[in-house]
Amino acid sequence: MMEIRSMRELIEITKLEKKSIGQIMLMKEEKKSGKDQETIIRMMEERLIKMKEAIDSGKNDPSPAPSGISGGDAVKMSQYVRRGKSLSGTYISDAMTFSLATSESNARMGVIVATPTAGAAGILPGVLFSLHENDGTPYEELVMGLFTASALGYVIANRSFISGAAGGCQAEVGSATAMAAGTIVELKGGTPEQAVNATAIAMKSLLGLVCDPVAGLVEVPCIKRNVIGTSIAFSAADLALAGIESRIPCDEVINAMYEVGKDMPRVLKETSLGGLAMTETGKKVKERLFSKKS
Amino acid sequence: MEFESCFDIIGPIMVGPSSSHTAGVVSIGKFVHELLDGCPEEADIIFYDSFAETYQGHGTDKALLGGLLGMNTDDSRIKHAIEMTHHYGLTYGIQLEGSCPYYDHPNTTFITARSKDSIVKVGGVSLGGGLSKIFMINGELVDIRLSTNDDISTLATHFSECVKKDTVLKGVV
Repeated sequence: MMEIRSMRELIEITKLEKKSIGQIMLMKEEKKSGKDQETIIRMMEERLIKMKEAIDSGKNDPSPAPSGISGGDAVKMSQYVRRGKSLSGTYISDAMTFSLATSESNARMGVIVATPTAGAAGILPGVLFSLHENDGTPYEELVMGLFTASALGYVIANRSFISGAAGGCQAEVGSATAMAAGTIVELKGGTPEQAVNATAIAMKSLLGLVCDPVAGLVEVPCIKRNVIGTSIAFSAADLALAGIESRIPCDEVINAMYEVGKDMPRVLKETSLGGLAMTETGKKVKERLFSKKS
Repeated sequence: MEFESCFDIIGPIMVGPSSSHTAGVVSIGKFVHELLDGCPEEADIIFYDSFAETYQGHGTDKALLGGLLGMNTDDSRIKHAIEMTHHYGLTYGIQLEGSCPYYDHPNTTFITARSKDSIVKVGGVSLGGGLSKIFMINGELVDIRLSTNDDISTLATHFSECVKKDTVLKGVV
């Protein structure tokens, strides 16, 4: 099988092999690792189950993170959604709740699955389990969705970057949101082209986003950016499923993300020396936390 | 192509909060642990750049120490690693610096670790998503890719000849 260096090549291979993006990634892993399909699927299934466990523990846990600056919002959101009055509809509202639950677990040093990073770990589980909740997408399909997401993330990671320290939040929440958008499309029966369009549209929406965590913690603003990422993923998926294309091809969007990330000043790349980290409140939090420790 | 597997993107299964500042660093520490074939008695740790600025918030120190003590990325004891160094008899120091002179990346660390009669100096970089790389062992440039799916113990045994006896290396340190 040829190497997948771009979304264009990925789409070509899906056509050649008459398979979905997820199936192509599964085949590729089989060749690369020498493991059989069943073993690889079981490994991915284990990750899906860990995601579900993080959601379940986070959803009902009102306790704050050790820092005291996050925690308890998943419980609030879950109660609000249950009252049936949320404005964004159940797909997005549930995804928001699950995303909060996962990212809050992460901040408590709980066990999560990096997708592609821990800082962005709330987005993909959020949308996947919202699909399960709202239209009964079975776990087997969610597992295939994880292969779709990994294929999209694989191209992004090798062409650009996925860590906030290297490329800002656009590389982290941006990549995760882009992966989630394409995955929703494939799970909802869209073509590989449509999935890649959704990926491009989602990434464009977050281009330029800086990484500015308050006190260096993966909490503020990271957790809520994960939450908003799920709604961007659903919006981008809807656009693509409606047949709307990204005017800039996905590979060029990824290249632009790389260029923007390279040009982004160091103070806005996870050093906590700029952006929200340097607001009056951000600085106070840092002072309070680190004077306590030393 | 740094990222090779679907599990480099979906994974690792890990304790939070950061795949680059926590999980990837556990693997670097674990590699040193395996090189020395056990927990070191002393470790001098340098954190560069982004690691230096944010290590407290991300638990990067706990992650590296956890790895040095032999833990994996999904070990829930990582958050207690600092307290656990006492039980294991590991004394350590952490030094903070700007850009790493050996490797151009914001998430870099350099560890000098000593066990009874061995010493090893290891440079590591965390590339994101839990993937990391050892770029230097005892002054020699190397390129050892560490994914949490890899068996770090097997990887390290290929480089065990790099571990110098303390007496041999003292002259060049």
